[in-house]
Amino acid sequence: MSKTLNRRDFIKTTSATTVGVAAIASGVTLTSFAANDKSVTNAKRWGMLIDTNKLTETEIDGMVGACRKENGWGSEVHSTGNQKPTWIKKLKVQDKATGKITDLPLMCQHCEEPPCVDVCPTNASMKREDGIVLVDRHLCIGCRYCMMACPYDARSFVHEDLTDQKEHMPRGKGTVESCTLCVHKVDNGESPACVASVNSDAVIFGDLYDANSKINQTLKKIQSTQIRADLNLNTGVRYSGI
Amino acid sequence: MYRLLVLFLSIALSVSIAQASNDLSGNSKAAQSTEKYHDSVSVIRKMHPEFLNHKRDKTLRQGVRTEENSLKGCVNCHANKDEKTNQYHPVNEQDQFCSTCHQKVSVSVDCFSCHRTTPGKGASL
Repeated sequence: MSKTLNRRDFIKTTSATTVGVAAIASGVTLTSFAANDKSVTNAKRWGMLIDTNKLTETEIDGMVGACRKENGWGSEVHSTGNQKPTWIKKLKVQDKATGKITDLPLMCQHCEEPPCVDVCPTNASMKREDGIVLVDRHLCIGCRYCMMACPYDARSFVHEDLTDQKEHMPRGKGTVESCTLCVHKVDNGESPACVASVNSDAVIFGDLYDANSKINQTLKKIQSTQIRADLNLNTGVRYSGI
Repeated sequence: MYRLLVLFLSIALSVSIAQASNDLSGNSKAAQSTEKYHDSVSVIRKMHPEFLNHKRDKTLRQGVRTEENSLKGCVNCHANKDEKTNQYHPVNEQDQFCSTCHQKVSVSVDCFSCHRTTPGKGASL
């Protein structure tokens, strides 16, 4: 220890230690991955069954509120009337003969043959393998053909600059949007926000193809319908009681 | 004794070089973390647009939701917090993480007309 350190020794020791520390540091990399690192496949088809007889008007309002809160739409200040985004809405239908009024929630029906995907000039409007119909805003040019093509009036256009979006749901001016079936939640094994907001089994969400799923079993038992079934779009959202 | 001193100094030097090469200032999670997330800073600096473009398609179209190369992850780790207000600075604000380089090389990105610019409440990757 009493040896005097000359310049050469100093450089040798310093560089050796630096290389050593750098080697250790480069070995420490974060390689943890979330569970859903696999692509979705067409072995599943997500769907929803809405029983309008069991569903109350308050519950439908609750569904709309839950969607709004989850996805962060509905607080646009500059958009007027029809410009305001509506991902899900409460609809009243009346039987002309009897006058019976039924309330139902209407959102993107996640068609198997979606007209919005057919008309999109940029492939922004797309259907995932598992049947969820989405807008890829990276490609969307805001032409709104899909809004015209949709028989359910399910899509909206963002007319104003937005800030403070939800981190799981990017939204911005000049793009079209609609119900995503809460795809960020579904990919994590959860139910969409609107389904979770209803306490009864009036709204069931699940895999239409899975013979053991509640939605599959219920659809086998009860009478259900698709809205505008005549269009042969084979919707993922089904209704009973209308 | 001298050797010990040299050892200490060289460790201090290499740590400071590592910090400086990351160009991380402020009090973001990334600046405070001792964990090394990216294999190479030069690679991520040059290739991050390609990584992000690839990842966005994987996530949106195929439902692959990993934290690797996710824009949400960039924002969560690299957003600086204002000491006084305890609020995050948006990453695209002037002289913040994303905009410093983009300003310098005159690149205008369109990520943040849709994506959130600060970590969300209870932010995770």
